[in-house]
Amino acid sequence: MIQTVAWVVSLFFMIVITVVFSVVLLKSQEKRDYTPIKKKWYKARSFYGSILIVFMLAVTIYTLRELPYNQPVYSAGAEPTVVDVEAMQFGWELSQTQFKAGEPVEFKVKSNDVNHGFGIYDEDMNILTQTQAMPAYTNEVYITFDEPGTYEVLCMEYCGLAHHAMTAEITVTE
Amino acid sequence: MQSVKSRNNLVVSYLTVGGLIILVMMIFGVLMLLSQGGVLDLSPAAFYQFLTIHGTGMVGAAAFAAAGIMGYFLSRHVTLSKKVMTANLVLFLIGVVMVIIGVFSFEYASAWTFLYPLPQLSANAWGTIGALLYLFGMLILGVGFLLFYLDTGRAIIKNYGSLAKGLGWDVIAGKKSEDDAPSSTVVASTMVTIVNVTALIAGAIVLIMNIINVINPAFTVDPLLAKNLTYAFGHIFANAIIYMAVIAVYEILQEYTNRPWKVNRVFLIAWTMSTVFTLLIYTHHLLMDSVMPTWMLIMGQALSYANGLPVLVVTAYGALMIVYKSGIKWDMGSGLMFLSMFGWVVGVVPAIVDATIVVNQVMHNTKWVPGHFHMYMALGACAMIFGFMYYLAKHDSAIKTNVMDRFAFVGYTLSIIALSGSFLVSGVLSTPRRWATHIPEWMGPAVFGGIAGILGFLSVAIFVVHFIRFIRIRNKMVPGSSSDGKRLA
Repeated sequence: MIQTVAWVVSLFFMIVITVVFSVVLLKSQEKRDYTPIKKKWYKARSFYGSILIVFMLAVTIYTLRELPYNQPVYSAGAEPTVVDVEAMQFGWELSQTQFKAGEPVEFKVKSNDVNHGFGIYDEDMNILTQTQAMPAYTNEVYITFDEPGTYEVLCMEYCGLAHHAMTAEITVTE
Repeated sequence: MQSVKSRNNLVVSYLTVGGLIILVMMIFGVLMLLSQGGVLDLSPAAFYQFLTIHGTGMVGAAAFAAAGIMGYFLSRHVTLSKKVMTANLVLFLIGVVMVIIGVFSFEYASAWTFLYPLPQLSANAWGTIGALLYLFGMLILGVGFLLFYLDTGRAIIKNYGSLAKGLGWDVIAGKKSEDDAPSSTVVASTMVTIVNVTALIAGAIVLIMNIINVINPAFTVDPLLAKNLTYAFGHIFANAIIYMAVIAVYEILQEYTNRPWKVNRVFLIAWTMSTVFTLLIYTHHLLMDSVMPTWMLIMGQALSYANGLPVLVVTAYGALMIVYKSGIKWDMGSGLMFLSMFGWVVGVVPAIVDATIVVNQVMHNTKWVPGHFHMYMALGACAMIFGFMYYLAKHDSAIKTNVMDRFAFVGYTLSIIALSGSFLVSGVLSTPRRWATHIPEWMGPAVFGGIAGILGFLSVAIFVVHFIRFIRIRNKMVPGSSSDGKRLA
């Protein structure tokens, strides 16, 4: 699950940063001449900076390989089901709400009033994917529901006083 | 001849107003979390009004206080207009009053984002007057800030020849030696001047568009253009707070460690990178708008990563180096400065993670987002502001800190780490942000965050009380006995 990866990665780097700041804090009471410190740590910075740039470049390239904006390549005979989604204060109109597990679905999402967010949650209330619902534009979401069950649509963009009540259900059968 | 005290009066006013508003805004934050956690029963109308005032007020107040810091240190290098700083103060207060009346008397609740066309299409939750009070209030406030940055730009150009020279481009190009480079204060102020003039113009355009739409709904705007302008304004303006406040870190840590924070080519290149990236990376707020040009969204991710480099490799690294084995004597001012650098760097991590498109697909508009910006804003930018308040009090008076202040330091640190952590955990649990109600599975972290927020509130109250005690002491001091450097004209 992406959320878990994001959390573990963030925690790891936040702990590393905490350790570095703690060490510097503990060493702050010693007094040494600044010139050799600068010389040593400027040298270290060139190395650390280069590593960081290479690391960030690698992560950028890796994470940009597959973007959620691109229509998936479907296997022969597996045409996606296209669903029109219209958001309005404060509800959803979906042209179809029942799907089969394994069936590729394309949601074409728009709004007839203000900005909303079309977020799809699984039965455990983990968000699977989302897009914005905007007036005058159609955003697309591609998803294949792997498991049968009841999925929920939640509004992910603040849209007015009943924003939190703007939900819908999707049923996926075997 | 103008005294230090007279020059600092405006700065003290900026910090007092900013500090007090931040303190009050924390109450609304705590109330919202406790309501989400099921401890309180706020009506949705009240919740979303609190949401609107909390977001608007926190960013506005922190930006205002940070502008005071920038004005304080920049006026050592250039002559700023006292009239403009006073005008900014007056316009800020007028704007704040209008926003408060709009939200609480006319039930306006569009959140700070006021995403077009929500101000006009409220589903009958609020009317035209409430929307106009809020939007005009924001516009007036923005005009005050714009005047301030136009004046800082004018003063920098007058002294250094151009904004490019304020950023040290002649030093980067090798036309001038590093010894003649502008100070870190001037470089940071130039960067903020450039990005915030841009942000405020974008903000003024989208506010005026919304105002016309509210008055005459037949006037319509492209919603995607409006969204771009809103985030260009909001992202840049909020981001610039830390670039103003970090001036205090540069100045204060140099003074406390007796070590120079020398401006060299790497430093100048880093600040030029920050200038460019800060202007461009707002598109990471639009990663879930697939109708945006894909290259802009890829740029949003790539440049958000790159924007971490100047702080991770130059500013924070410089702070660590200057403190390391320096024999520094820690007090509230220097301690909060060091904490703020930690807050800034640690907050960069979840921010960069969220700017990754595949992560944003499941984290966008969840509570992960307030998780990272509470680290950046509260543990980073606001710690700089409170640290500067302690520094100024010590610098300009004989006021002493006591055990309560030290308690507040520890309390503030723990509370913001706990609060931000609770938001991040909520994000991992897929809890949507800006929701008045939560399902039971989402309530635990909200209650935890609310309790942490109470500790944070008590800590900030102690910071603010210390500053008010200082103001009372300085009011009894004889004015006009000394001066240092340049001053407000």
